[in-house]
Amino acid sequence: MKNNLLMKLLSLLVLASFVLAACGGPAPQASATEEAMTEAPATEAVTEAPAADDVALRWRTRPDNQEEINVYSQISSELDAQLDGISLTYEPGGSEGANYQDQLRAEIAAGTAPDVFWIPGTDVADFATRGLILNAADLAGATDGYTAENFYAGPMFHLTYNPETGASGDGSGAVWGLPRDVSTFALYLNLDLIAEAGAADPRELAANGEWDWDAFLDVAQKTRALGPDIYGYGASAWWGPYGVWLNASGGGFFTEDRTACNLNSEESLAGLEFQRSLYQDFDVATPYGEDPEPPFRAGNVAMFQNGRWATPGIRTVDFNWDVVELPNGPQGTPGNWLFWGAYVINANTEHPEEAWALVQALTTAETQGQVSALGANIPSRVSQEALDAFLTFTPPDNNQAFLNGIAPDANPTAEGPLWAGSWPEFDKIMGPAIQGVLTGATSVEQFGATICDEANKAFNQ
Amino acid sequence: MKLQSYRLIRFLNNFFIYFVLTLFAFIMLFPFMYMLSTSFKIPADTFRYPPRMLPRDPVTIEVDGFEKPLPLYYVEINGEQKEFALAQSNIKIGIYAPADNLSATVERRLTEVKPTGGATNQQTVVVNDKEEKLFDVEVDGQIIPMILISQTTVGEFINPENPDEKVSQNVRLSTPVESISWHPENYKQIVELNNMARALTNTALVTILVVIGQLVTSVFGGYAFARLKFPGRDTLFVFYLGTIMIPFVMLIVPLYQLMVVIGWTDRLAALIIPWIFTAYGTFLMRQHFITFPKEIEEAALLDGASRFQILKNIIIPASVPALATQATFTFLYAWNSFIWPLVIINVGNEKNHVLTLALNVLRGRASDTPNLILAGAAIAIIPPLIVFILGQRFFVESVASSGVKG
Amino acid sequence: MHSHSSEQTKLTLHIHFVWRIVFAFLMIVGMYVLWTSPAERESWQKIIVTVVCSLAAILSIYGATQINKGNHSGRMIALLLDYLGFATALVMALNTGEIFIGIDALGQTFPQGIPYLGIVIVGYFLGSLDEYLPTKKATSENSLKTVGRWIMLLGGILFLWQIEAVNGAVYFFSKLIQPLGIASVIAIIIFGISLWSMSRPHIAQALGVKTGHEQIINGWLFLSPNLLGFLIFFAGPLVLSLYFSFTDSDAFNTPNWVGFDNYARILNVRFALLETPTQLAREVVDIKIYDEVDRFVIGNTGILFAAADKFFWLALRNTLTFVLFAVPLSVIPALILSNVLNSKLPGMKFFRAVYFMPSIAAVVGIALVWQWLYNATIGYINYFITLGIEFWNNLFNLAIVDPKIQWVSDERTALLAVVIIAAWQTMGFNTVLFLAGLQNIPGELYEAATVDGAGAWDKFWGITLPMLAPTTFYVVSTTTIQAMQVFEQVFILMNPPEGPNNSTITLVLYLYRSGFQNFQQGYASAIAWVLFIVIFGLTLIQFQRQRRSSIYES
Repeated sequence: MKNNLLMKLLSLLVLASFVLAACGGPAPQASATEEAMTEAPATEAVTEAPAADDVALRWRTRPDNQEEINVYSQISSELDAQLDGISLTYEPGGSEGANYQDQLRAEIAAGTAPDVFWIPGTDVADFATRGLILNAADLAGATDGYTAENFYAGPMFHLTYNPETGASGDGSGAVWGLPRDVSTFALYLNLDLIAEAGAADPRELAANGEWDWDAFLDVAQKTRALGPDIYGYGASAWWGPYGVWLNASGGGFFTEDRTACNLNSEESLAGLEFQRSLYQDFDVATPYGEDPEPPFRAGNVAMFQNGRWATPGIRTVDFNWDVVELPNGPQGTPGNWLFWGAYVINANTEHPEEAWALVQALTTAETQGQVSALGANIPSRVSQEALDAFLTFTPPDNNQAFLNGIAPDANPTAEGPLWAGSWPEFDKIMGPAIQGVLTGATSVEQFGATICDEANKAFNQ
Repeated sequence: MKLQSYRLIRFLNNFFIYFVLTLFAFIMLFPFMYMLSTSFKIPADTFRYPPRMLPRDPVTIEVDGFEKPLPLYYVEINGEQKEFALAQSNIKIGIYAPADNLSATVERRLTEVKPTGGATNQQTVVVNDKEEKLFDVEVDGQIIPMILISQTTVGEFINPENPDEKVSQNVRLSTPVESISWHPENYKQIVELNNMARALTNTALVTILVVIGQLVTSVFGGYAFARLKFPGRDTLFVFYLGTIMIPFVMLIVPLYQLMVVIGWTDRLAALIIPWIFTAYGTFLMRQHFITFPKEIEEAALLDGASRFQILKNIIIPASVPALATQATFTFLYAWNSFIWPLVIINVGNEKNHVLTLALNVLRGRASDTPNLILAGAAIAIIPPLIVFILGQRFFVESVASSGVKG
Repeated sequence: MHSHSSEQTKLTLHIHFVWRIVFAFLMIVGMYVLWTSPAERESWQKIIVTVVCSLAAILSIYGATQINKGNHSGRMIALLLDYLGFATALVMALNTGEIFIGIDALGQTFPQGIPYLGIVIVGYFLGSLDEYLPTKKATSENSLKTVGRWIMLLGGILFLWQIEAVNGAVYFFSKLIQPLGIASVIAIIIFGISLWSMSRPHIAQALGVKTGHEQIINGWLFLSPNLLGFLIFFAGPLVLSLYFSFTDSDAFNTPNWVGFDNYARILNVRFALLETPTQLAREVVDIKIYDEVDRFVIGNTGILFAAADKFFWLALRNTLTFVLFAVPLSVIPALILSNVLNSKLPGMKFFRAVYFMPSIAAVVGIALVWQWLYNATIGYINYFITLGIEFWNNLFNLAIVDPKIQWVSDERTALLAVVIIAAWQTMGFNTVLFLAGLQNIPGELYEAATVDGAGAWDKFWGITLPMLAPTTFYVVSTTTIQAMQVFEQVFILMNPPEGPNNSTITLVLYLYRSGFQNFQQGYASAIAWVLFIVIFGLTLIQFQRQRRSSIYES
């Protein structure tokens, strides 16, 4: 009997401890899984055990091919050795077609996102307003030698924009990240086709200041005449290439203060009209919607509008090629579009200081040089050294064309409404609208009549 | 006579049947054939138009006096087709004509022609109200001043055996000499490049565990529904049946949040555990077990066997075809699933990628090399095909029966 | 044999009574801790835990009284609760030992083990070979079987060694040694003892067990793994989904109840009469709220259809269009093919297998293949069209212009391109289903019809089609349900997935975009329920038609 009483008491005690743990238990359980996340399970721990007291950081950027993965992996191991107390793991991330940013959002929601990651400039405002990325203003303020002026002003305007005050630049109270790289559009030329067609060399025309819409159209038409499967011009099926024609004709996506749509202005529509004529009237362009890169690489497109990121792939072609800036508009003004992306810090990172140190290390002139040597990027740091180095990364021989595109005279507009509205919404509106015009489904007039009704919804009002 | 015409009609009838069947078989098989053949090509060959089935490589040849091997092209000399090597390309050619007879054009290399009157003092002529420069062009030993009408380029082709025998013609429009050659190294490359090997084994692991887990739970559940009487059984069964129609996407949001709570996002467990409990599999098993003769079971019960023993020793051995069918169904479902891995597995965590995810990444990263993409697709598609071929006796027949009963 | 004294039985029952009370008390304590602990949890999680705990507590107390009265229901309740407790503790122990997330590590070592898995399979085939060998010597059969078993065993051990099962086990136990893990193990033991004690015959008898009770327990026991998993991973999320559809859940913040707002936004549409077919939308609707979805032109006037969420309506339009084309395109050829295949000629099984092949290949892979087939400039489909046109032009001296269709980048053909892939993939599956239906039609019907002088057509319309009605219903409704969920083909084939001018945005794609790109997970749940209602409605319509036609027949 005594024995049984003892048994009862004992089991009571034990069970009390258990059910307490079980019913009120999710907290310890959650911490257990978190532990497991930072600390890879047994077998993997053997292969990649970090040094005992190092802070482990994961970082990610979007590579477009295996060479880039290799370079970033190498940079990661170099920085790993260079940065004291930090051990790095590089994750390649998806590719452009594979929803890189959406995946990141999902991972932040699930709490599994890396500490530092690259996002396209178009997503910075969205990530920041959702509270997904860290405002590093305090960390930046405490850093010797940091100033926003080290980088191109275009990206830094957005990266230091404070949505509460509307201020930007040093001392705005906001630093959302640092730009990894910048890029602009250029025309990749198939010199063999142009020579065969007997057309003038666009590089010479550009050097002589004669590279305008008429000259461009002349080259395109002459090469198009070489055969039914030879095209004079090709551009990807989205509304980005339109930005160039629009800027060159003196128009713009937005009003001066970037708070409302300006797509229905006369100049903007003139740019669209010219681009439409390339597809519809003169029939010199690869069919809108079809990716022009395969035919260009197969040697069937004379001028291919794309950014610096296309260079590594095009280096493998077996014809003579080079690049030239985009032609000047009717008023003789150039136009371009500025692409950029930034390294930002996960708002939930446990090691903000180390993460900021990593962001800086990833954007030094040296690191940027390593990446741009590969050909896909233009350094985002404003320094003569970096630019001089960039010019040596040939082919193409005419790297200056890209720098001309970034130069302030080229009026490279950064893409979306960003802080003044919603880039994803703007994008969803622009895509079908531009496609309608370029495929001939709607006229430029119809576009002008309705576009701002729709596009203004993407702006905060 | 009547018999003969009857035979003829039957022959024609059968011929027509086989014709239709073969036509559809071609439609069904063609994408697979295309996938396989493209996966053995080199990239340049995949972009060629018109497309060709067999993979081909351009042929090159060593020629004396040239460092690199030269590509071979077909050229026509005096109506005879010959294989010549391309020695030099992009030779600039001018098309010239006398100012008074613009249709009498001749082609000359730009380097062979001199400006009339010298480079510094070139003579001009007015044609159609436009001032045109004059060049000295030699025609049949005579020098005639002509104007430049247009320019183009040609390549110089040489006879590999006799490098002095030369022909000039447009390179782009010339047909290269090619030979059939397969490139199985594409598969090696894709497996190494894109983590395909790990994705393949992950998919195998996930599929095996899901198949085993699902078989176990549905055998037990199906047996309970078919053979054991307990209160609430029939209501519950109707409930199970009702959920079969509910599409998975209904659950994707709450299941995702559930995984976040449990801490299984980005874990292979999320691809396995939720999938081993299935109403449909339980239903199929129940339908099968219910046809099993009751007498055998009752006899075993009288002998003192437990329900578990009956299931293990009598019913399961007699149900191999049904189990194989369900295993094949589950295999295909688990192997091919995409939207759930897309939502739950991190794009950066390539260690936990399954094949469909790896293909999705590959599609963006290798968009300029269809041969590699299609090699990846083949890796994802071929294992289920093998499973299907092995199990098709069971499979096709029971798909049929499940459909009729359902 | 030892017999149990009634004293001992009474005592055991008494312990069980106390244990039930303690169990209930612990549940209540657990709830108290849950609501007072500072750790933040989502309210739906708290509610679920509370409901489960309080149900368990109430049941436990009721069970205790029944045990006290010697009623059998007390035993059932005790078994149920202890079983659930046992299962929970087991899962908890496994989770603490990181068995589940350890599958990732298994993914790392699994490749090394695959060759040895091959050995196991070889051993299995060797062992089962004797069934096929016509040998009559019992000894050789046995030896073959034994050899097979040994090979399997050896392969299994090598496999486990290669996947580092030992390391895994060591890691499991090292993780288990922490408060939660130890508590779980102890709980497993206690629940286990309680279960064992309750299932002993003398206790059962004391609580008045009857024949049939064993079957009830076995029934629930056999069903339990399935049922628990089904409740946690299917029924539970389904209810949650309904709850989310009334909230603004965004995966980052705590969801707020918004009532019918999500549904109201989906259904917020306006129709407006247009004075001219090209009249601008802003003149007839408030374009701050509504977007133009479509306009239907009737003569000189027209009707404008505008919606607050135009993407939903575009998605619904595209999905229904897809169903409208994909279902007939995959059902009607299947019906014809199955009739041809039913003609008992040699080689039919081969064709049947060939037709079946597309339906087992991964949609993602298939879509990638078709993407290149559809390529406008170098793809095979346009090449075949060009060849065909050249052939007709030469044959009849026509001048048909080669359309050079931009299959996936032209908004007029993009959805068609997806339809073709889907039809291609499901046709073979449907053919096999029809074939089975055909083989179930009694041959006498045809013989009788032949005697009556019916032709082939009459037989097809008069016998085959009506007799196939149940199969047709099954085929059409499963194909429709599947087609309503079209996602993967679109996601892979189109870039961006919405397609040119949103021509291939489908309901599931929009659901994915809302839930996992814009993170409006509450809104996505509402879309899911609308999708379900549409599917349900379509199936109901088909069901009604089928019933009516079968009534008509009889």
